[in-house]
Amino acid sequence: MTAVLQKKVCMLGGFSVGKTSLVKRYVHSVFSESYLTTVGVKIDKKTVTLPDRIVNLILWDLAGEDDINSFRMTNLRGAAGYVLVADGTRPSTLDVALSLRQRVEADYGPLPFVLLLNKSDLAEQWAIGDADVAGLRQNGWWVQPSSARTGEGVDEAFKDLAVRAAG
Amino acid sequence: MTTSPDILEGLLRSPSGDSAIDRKALAGLLVEIAQSLRPELRGQQNGVQPGDLELEQLRTLLVGREIETLSRLTGVVDDPERLAAAIGRVLPTAIAQATSDTRMGHVLAPVMEKAAESSIRNDPKTLVNILYPTIVPAIRKSIGETIDETFQRLNQTLKYSLTWRGLKWRWEAWRTGRPFAEVVLKHTLVYQIEHVFLIHRHTGLLIAHVAAENAVSQDPQLVSSMLAAIQDFVRDSFSGAEHQGLDSVQLGELRLWSEPGPFAALIAVIRGDPPEGLHDTMRNILSRIHAERHHALESFDGDSAGLVDVEARLRELVALSAHAPPRTRLGRVIVVALLLLLLASAVAWAAWWWHNQRLWEGYLDRLRAQPGIAITDAGKRDGKFVVSGLRDPLAVNPLALLGESGIDPARVEAHFEPYQALDPQSVLKRLNASLDPPPSVTLSVAGNRIVAHGSAPRPWLDRAHAVAKALPAGAPGFELAGVRNEDEADEQRRQVDEGQWRAYVAWLRSEPGIVITQTEVRDGKFLLSGLRDPLAIDPLELLGEAGIDPSRVEAHFDPYQGLDPQFVLKRLQASLNPPPGVTLAVDGDRIVAQGSAPSPWISRARKVGSALPAGAPVLDLSAMRDISEGALGKLRDAIQARSINFDSGKSLPTAGQEQVLDEIASDLNELVKLSSTLHAVTRVTLTGHADSQGQGTSNLSLSVARAEAVRALLKKRGVDPDLLQVRGAGQLEPLQDEAAEADASARSVNRRVSFSIGFEEEP
Repeated sequence: MTAVLQKKVCMLGGFSVGKTSLVKRYVHSVFSESYLTTVGVKIDKKTVTLPDRIVNLILWDLAGEDDINSFRMTNLRGAAGYVLVADGTRPSTLDVALSLRQRVEADYGPLPFVLLLNKSDLAEQWAIGDADVAGLRQNGWWVQPSSARTGEGVDEAFKDLAVRAAG
Repeated sequence: MTTSPDILEGLLRSPSGDSAIDRKALAGLLVEIAQSLRPELRGQQNGVQPGDLELEQLRTLLVGREIETLSRLTGVVDDPERLAAAIGRVLPTAIAQATSDTRMGHVLAPVMEKAAESSIRNDPKTLVNILYPTIVPAIRKSIGETIDETFQRLNQTLKYSLTWRGLKWRWEAWRTGRPFAEVVLKHTLVYQIEHVFLIHRHTGLLIAHVAAENAVSQDPQLVSSMLAAIQDFVRDSFSGAEHQGLDSVQLGELRLWSEPGPFAALIAVIRGDPPEGLHDTMRNILSRIHAERHHALESFDGDSAGLVDVEARLRELVALSAHAPPRTRLGRVIVVALLLLLLASAVAWAAWWWHNQRLWEGYLDRLRAQPGIAITDAGKRDGKFVVSGLRDPLAVNPLALLGESGIDPARVEAHFEPYQALDPQSVLKRLNASLDPPPSVTLSVAGNRIVAHGSAPRPWLDRAHAVAKALPAGAPGFELAGVRNEDEADEQRRQVDEGQWRAYVAWLRSEPGIVITQTEVRDGKFLLSGLRDPLAIDPLELLGEAGIDPSRVEAHFDPYQGLDPQFVLKRLQASLNPPPGVTLAVDGDRIVAQGSAPSPWISRARKVGSALPAGAPVLDLSAMRDISEGALGKLRDAIQARSINFDSGKSLPTAGQEQVLDEIASDLNELVKLSSTLHAVTRVTLTGHADSQGQGTSNLSLSVARAEAVRALLKKRGVDPDLLQVRGAGQLEPLQDEAAEADASARSVNRRVSFSIGFEEEP
């Protein structure tokens, strides 16, 4: 019998970067989005099948805020990893994502994470240079353009995160 | 002092890892040798007596290195400080390793207890300071729960203390010896734990989840994380709740009870009304889980494979609640089913009742609309419809209407008293039935009246008029003016006839001696009966004068004596036949007779007069005179005063008496003449007498002969002999007593023929 693991994974990102769209399309969801506005959190699940095990990523979709100071860091307690989401058409959201990463690192130490540059389907509005991406990758980060519309990068990101979080 | 073999073994184990020599076997061999050489050493296990040089040398030779190690160790062991330092270096590791050994807890527990005890004794404040942050909320919570539980018990106890169920539970409490409140809670707090989540507090990941058989929920992993998120949200959002999560959440019938533990939280989803004591149960189970799987919980990283056995504990909780309600739930299902059944039958009954009631009311309305039926009372009794009232015999039969109304006649009791309805329809019916109008007459209702049209014979009309008059007050009027009398012509003719008849009868009534007792006109004939004095006029004789056809008259008269004076007079005149000298006349209420008549007539009249019935007029005879009292009487007396004498033994009169005879004859003739004028007949009796001489028989014949002789003499003188009667008296009627007087003269006187005269009525 294949072992089944659960891992808590948080979805972080600035306002309107498309976290929820990613979640809505590619994961198992039972709760309504109103939780995001009321409780600030919405729980979803993404099951990733690895060769030797099955990992259930319990996704804590956290309400996106551009003011990172009001971000409730307690939600990250016990997380095995996180997904940073930025809007590839808005460079400022990348900054927000990077700031979030720093705060998480500060509070919880280094945790596995993936950085998704979302809305890759809007190629003509794309505003993040390949150089920047390469720079980020040089840090050993896993950076991946993604699209909620095409599904590009989504499964790979979760799979990678699952491998690292469960490792 | 002895050392445990384990310690020795440990000490003998060389850190350098020299395994070529079995040091234990070697040491054992040396000891064996030493003991065989010196039997006094046999009591000691390990100790070695110093002082034996050879042995010492051998030992040094053989186990010099070991002795060196041993002495070093002994130095450590013997020096408490060094020993403490040495143990102190390994103690945490040792304890950590020994933790998995259950004996560790047992061994340490008394020591810890004592330590804690003395610590508390020395300074309780320290413990209080340590415990305060954790214990006070716990106490507060516990007290709160206890109070809640108390109130819950009180509420339930009060609620059910006086009900029937309450009494039943009191009986159960008395029987089982349990407190009443507990019994009440057992029966009233119906609940079921549907889900139990064991959630890792740090990550919010689901460790274990157990659901009741019939419970459904979303993905438990998501649910548990969401619960954790909400707990965090509450904790973060409201100050004062920093160390606490949500205790309980109630959403309608569902309750969420949460029990936090050091590493895991137990969350129960309960449907219904759980007893507050369930908090305790949950806490106990959670602490048991923590005690048993402390490490696994602490190091939980999302792999719950190693915690599968925890589910059994959670199942206990689900099972705990499950065994109370099922019966109740089943009971409730039965009760609900029964109630539904009851309700259904009630509804069905009500519908049936309503239907019947509608039918019944429809029937009553119909009845009320019927002329000639008055309902005084209607209702239901003993499941039957009852109706009573008044019914005109001509009205429709109430039972006959039942069929049309769709009501089973067997379910109806009807009682109607007969009465005469006064509504026009009923009266019309009754008139049709009682008058049986001929085909030429039609009766109909016009407004509040009944009108007859057509033509009818008089008898029917008369009957109809009588009926119309006899209709009770309040009944519609009965108008017969529209009916023509078919017998009018006949009637007019009859009226004429009847006028004549009435006149005739009146005439009859005025006739004396006729009494009309009955008069009738029947079938065109006149019937007449009564009394008629035979002296009265014959009624039939009058018919002609009255102009009535005698053939139409049937008269019957019984004879009777009329007491009318005229009639009595008539009858007296008929019966008395008064002589011409007598007149009878009515004078008031008397009938007076006047004139003279022979006395026999008078005496007869007197008799008749006295025989007249009571109430009849009296016959007055006081004015009557006897005919003999006048000239007739003088003549009679003169004749009677005379006699014709005879000689003894002789049948012829003594000579010299011719003159006397002449006178007598003359008087007699005059008398006859006179009496005939008076309508009387004169009767003259000649009686012959003899004296006492001679024999009686010869005297008798002599006397007859003397009378005959005189008769002949008178005949000779013109007297009608028919008027003269003779008789012989013999010697029996002497004029003088012969013995007393001189015989000769007396005898001479006695020898004679005497005259007696009487008057009789004319035949």
